[in-house]
Formats: sequence, structure tokens, C-alpha cells
Amino acid sequence: MRLYEYEGKALFRRYKIPVPDGVVIDHHTLNELDKVIYPVVIKGQVFLGGRGKAGLVQLVQTRREAEEKIKNLIGRKHCGFIIEKVLVEKMIDIADEYYISAAIDRLEHKPLLMISRKGGVEIEEVDRADPQAILKCYFNPNETITEFQARKIATKFGLKAQLLTEAATIIFNLYKLYLGLDCKLVEINPLVKTKDERLFAIDAKVDLDEDAMFRHPELKDAGIVARHEIGELTEREKIAKSAGIPYVDLDGDIGVFPGGAGFGIAAIDLIKHYGGRPANFMDSGGAPTLGKLRIMLSLLVDNPNVKAIFGARFGGISRCDDWAKAVVQYLLENKPTKPMIMRMAGNMEVEGRKIFEQTKMAHPELFKNIKIYAYDTPIEEVIKETIRVAREIAIG
Amino acid sequence: MAIIIDENTKTIVQGITGANAALHTKFMLEYGTKIVGGVTPGKGGQTIEDIMVYDTMGECLREHPDATVSSVWVPARFAQDAILEAIDAGIKTVVVITERIPIHDMLYVRHNAKKKGVMVIGGNTPGVISPGKSLVGMLPKIAFQRGRIGTVARSGAITYYIANSLNLAGLGESTSVGLGGDPILGANFEDILKLFEEDNETDAVVMAGEIGGVYEELAAPYIKQMTKPVIAYITGKAAPQGKRLGHAGAIIEGNMGTAMGKIEALKSNAAIIAETLSEIPELVKKALKDKIGLKITIK
Repeated sequence: MRLYEYEGKALFRRYKIPVPDGVVIDHHTLNELDKVIYPVVIKGQVFLGGRGKAGLVQLVQTRREAEEKIKNLIGRKHCGFIIEKVLVEKMIDIADEYYISAAIDRLEHKPLLMISRKGGVEIEEVDRADPQAILKCYFNPNETITEFQARKIATKFGLKAQLLTEAATIIFNLYKLYLGLDCKLVEINPLVKTKDERLFAIDAKVDLDEDAMFRHPELKDAGIVARHEIGELTEREKIAKSAGIPYVDLDGDIGVFPGGAGFGIAAIDLIKHYGGRPANFMDSGGAPTLGKLRIMLSLLVDNPNVKAIFGARFGGISRCDDWAKAVVQYLLENKPTKPMIMRMAGNMEVEGRKIFEQTKMAHPELFKNIKIYAYDTPIEEVIKETIRVAREIAIG
Repeated sequence: MAIIIDENTKTIVQGITGANAALHTKFMLEYGTKIVGGVTPGKGGQTIEDIMVYDTMGECLREHPDATVSSVWVPARFAQDAILEAIDAGIKTVVVITERIPIHDMLYVRHNAKKKGVMVIGGNTPGVISPGKSLVGMLPKIAFQRGRIGTVARSGAITYYIANSLNLAGLGESTSVGLGGDPILGANFEDILKLFEEDNETDAVVMAGEIGGVYEELAAPYIKQMTKPVIAYITGKAAPQGKRLGHAGAIIEGNMGTAMGKIEALKSNAAIIAETLSEIPELVKKALKDKIGLKITIK
């Protein structure tokens, strides 16, 4: 889970990594600007980089100018994300810029601490132009950093005496934060040396492991809670996201209700391969609750672009009978008329089939446009039939 | 003799008292899997499906020293501890069903497993099945039948569909292995391909990967060294652009991770690429005829 710069900096303060004095402003708290000493830098809060080029970071001289520019920034879109908050920070006189990050190297399966004596530009750029400027240090998983290691690494910056030990402390604390809060990435770019010989983290990029947040109640104290990044999403994507359903709108006419994420990805490939057009990606796997399943189906049924729905369930840990119960309840409550061509196989398949058959006996009208195939029909035949049905409806 | 598990393998279920684990313990026993004990700390002395529950892996292994495989079903927050306990107790293979295990926990598990020479499969794996012999995990038995094709896939459902597709074409599986869907995995494609290469009951391998991560690319050079044909099915060609990686991630992984990148890497290392699930059996049959001239065993 990516954090905003101001959230990252709140964590930096807790871990004694120096950041410039600053205050976070949204459109309710503009009067906080009275407390600020000008000139200041105002920084629109979005996840992605490239903020400088996009004009989201600006130097302002007066309170009036600050208010005007902040009002202008709030509500603006950057790479699909709407700016809601602005960080207002004391201006720093930059003498030199460096880079520090701790990340996970997925080739080595180890934490990687990386520093560069050139910062302020993209690290990929430095790696291409001047790889000698970069130092990469691998650590064993869960291995803490020692203070002497941090000093040894910090010498790469070319700093001496007091500044060297300060840089070492920043490296030490950054790595402590990285391990201590289960981060996927902590990055300072740039770490700045001021003209009066002090060090500050000017930017903060922190990416937390959502799956480890349960053991970090201190994040909540810092105002950081699990959330979904809602950028420029369609209405359906917003509904899905707030329900915790991985869902992406595509431009086709076949609704995809595929089971797990892995087969969801494959289903899109296969529909396209056979000449159909998928209307969405969705991960309907695991063992969804009835409530979630209702949202999944209504995302497809209520989408006017969707002409036919392809559904699949290969019951492993998620049982066919639970799935059948949920689908049947949705049918009874919503009486959808869109064709659904589905296939159900796997654990508790017989029980699942019984549930469909009993409902069909009692309510044959609900099943006019619904087919549920079993193990002996190859999944791609089900996909091809859905494509055929969607095409027939399109032609009329 | 199939890989990882066979009819003689003795296994333990960690977290056996949980609802899912208990249900699948029943399914595994029905399939013929030899489960010798279960472990749930604090629940020692109970029985699940007539299987004795122990408080610790140490006690369980003292009673059943011939157990070599353990499956882990505990909640994610206890998974690292359960896997380390299995490794410490002397288990050789740990099959981790638990999903969404914290990344740093899995890195530490991998590090320890490597030191001790233990194979950890998963997390978020559906498990391993050697059809007709043994099943460890939650794979639906209907999807598999005994044969001479090894399969290894990241996704659970894809594992089932591939076997389904092979079976409908008259082929079967020696062993099917789910690598798991979590971002950091224990065993990777290469580890499993090596086992299949050495297995005298496997004639060819089907591997299925998907966008993201680097495990497919890492396995590619080994495929070239194999004597057995590898048919690879990679999904995600039509997927919408994924989320951007952080800068540090991008620099480490380079351009790896896209479906086309994976397909190129595999193709240039002698893997046979399948575009659909249904063409997999035909490609397998053709590869066997071309490469080894083996007579295909049809059930």
C-alpha cells in the first residue's frame, strides 16, 4: 500500500529521520497557513512521481500566494489521482542531493539497501549514466543493520565528520523503519544537504505490505489505515474497490465471472483469442460471501454494455455448493434476464448441482437464459458459446 | 515414482482443527493420502477424522518419525511460525496452503528452508497431487487422473483446467504442483522442473505462468538443458496494464514481468508455447512424438 509523502514523513519523524517542518492543508484547513513562515514550498499530494514537471511542487513567497495556489492544486488530477491534500514545507537551501532506498530484490529474495551519491533524479537514470555512483548492499531476511555498517555505507556519499555520522543515522533509521513496519519499499529521493550543512529527507516514498498491517497498530496512531487507492476509476470500479473486489472495466460485451485471479487473467486472454470482447477483469475467487457475490454479479448484470455473462467455478478451497447457493439466491432476489453461460466443477460439485436443479424445478422461468455445464464440457467450449450468444444479441 | 508425494508418503496437517483444514483432511483421507497426525498448539489430545492432534510438531514427529511432508493451513499471521516449526522438526517438504503471508516472513522462511535443504511450496498453493496415489492440499480430485505428464502452475484454477484439459484428451498427470499465488514463493518453477526431469514416471511437463514476478524468466535457461519437453502456457497477454512498480523495484527487475517478456524468454529456451488451454494436450502429444519418440500412454 503506497503512502502519501506526508504520511511517509510522519513515519520518518517517528523514526528520527529529519524532514523539513511542514503542515498538511486541505480545503477545510486553509487557516493553518497563518502559522507558516514564508517563503514555503507547496507540494500536491499524489502517489506517483513526476510532480515537479507537472507543476505540483511550487515555491511561494506570501500567504496570499500560498492560498491561491493551494486552492488551484486541490481537485487537480495527476496520472488519474485527484489531489486532496497539499503539504506546505519550509524552504530548504539545497547544496547537494543524495539517494537512499530499502527494497525487496525479487531475484535474490533478499532485502536490498541502495544508496547513491547522486539524488534528485530518477535512480534508473543514475544507474544508466553513472552506475559507479550507486552502492547496493544485500541483507539477509530479518537481519538488522548495525551502526558500523550504516557508517560504512554512508561513506559512499563522500561526507565527513559530523555529516557522515548524521547520514549513517538516517540510513540506520530508514532500514529500521523498513524492517520494523514490514515495508516493500522506503525511498528518500532526494536526501538533501543544505547550505548550512544539515541533512533533510525532502521526499518520502513508502510502500507497506498490506498483508502485514495487522501487526502494526502503531500505523493507526500515525493516521495510516488500510485503504484502496482510488484514482481515476469508473463508477463500477469504485463500487468494486470499496467492496474489496479486484475489478477492471474493459470495453467489451462479455461479463466475466471467472473464479480466481489466475483464471480471470486467462479468461480475458481466451475470450479475445476466440474473437470475443471481455467487458471486465474480475477476481471472484477465494470463498466470497453472499454479499460480495451479489455485488460481483450485479456489476455484470447492471452493466449496460454486457450482453452475456461467462461464469466459471472450479471448486478447490471454495466449494461448489457454497457458490451455487449464492448464485441461486442472487437469481431469486434479482431475477436477471441476461444470458449466463457457466461451468461448475470440483469439490462438492454434486451438492452444488442439486441446489441448481431444485431451484430450477421451483422457478423454471429464472433459468430460461442460464446454462450450467459440468466437468465433461471443456471450459473453452463454454467461452465460445458465450461469445456466440453475445454476438447473436448484438446482431439482434 | 511421481514427485514430492506418492502412495507411501506420510503427511502431517498443521492447523488441522480449522474448518477448512478439517474438511480437506477428510477429502485427503478419502483420496488415500496417509495422514499420520495433525498439529494445533493448544488442541493436543483431540482427534479430527480419527487423526490424533498434537500440540507441537516435535511431539507429532516423535510419534511418527516417518512423516516427511506437512501441509500448513493456519491463518497468515501464524504461517511463518508454523513453517519454521516444521523445518525445525525435520520435515522435508512443507506445502503452504495459507495465503497472503507477509512478504518479509516468506523471505525469512525461504532463507531458513534453503539452509536446511527443505522444500517449501506456496504460500497460497492449492497443493500437490500425484493422481491415484496421494493428495496434499485442497485440489479437487475430479480434475486429475493418473498419467505421465507433470504439471506446475502458479494459479490454482489453472492447475485444475490444465489437468482437466489433459484428461479430456486421454492424457493424465504424474504429479501436479501448485506453486502458489503469493508474491514471494518458496519453490519456484526451476525447482519443480528439476524434479520432473529426474522422475521416471514423467514424460513431459506443462508449466503455466502469469504476468508479474520473475519466476518464469528465471526458469527459462534450465528448460533448455532438459531432455523432456516443456509446454508453457502464459496468461496475461490481454490484461490491462498493471500497477507501476516503485523505482527501486523497477531497477531491480528490469523489463521482466510482462506476458510477452515471459513468452519470449521461454520460447528462446526451447519451451513450446501454448496459446490456449485446449491446445495443450495436442502440443504435448506432438512434442512427445517429435522429441523422444515415446509411445504415449493413454489411459
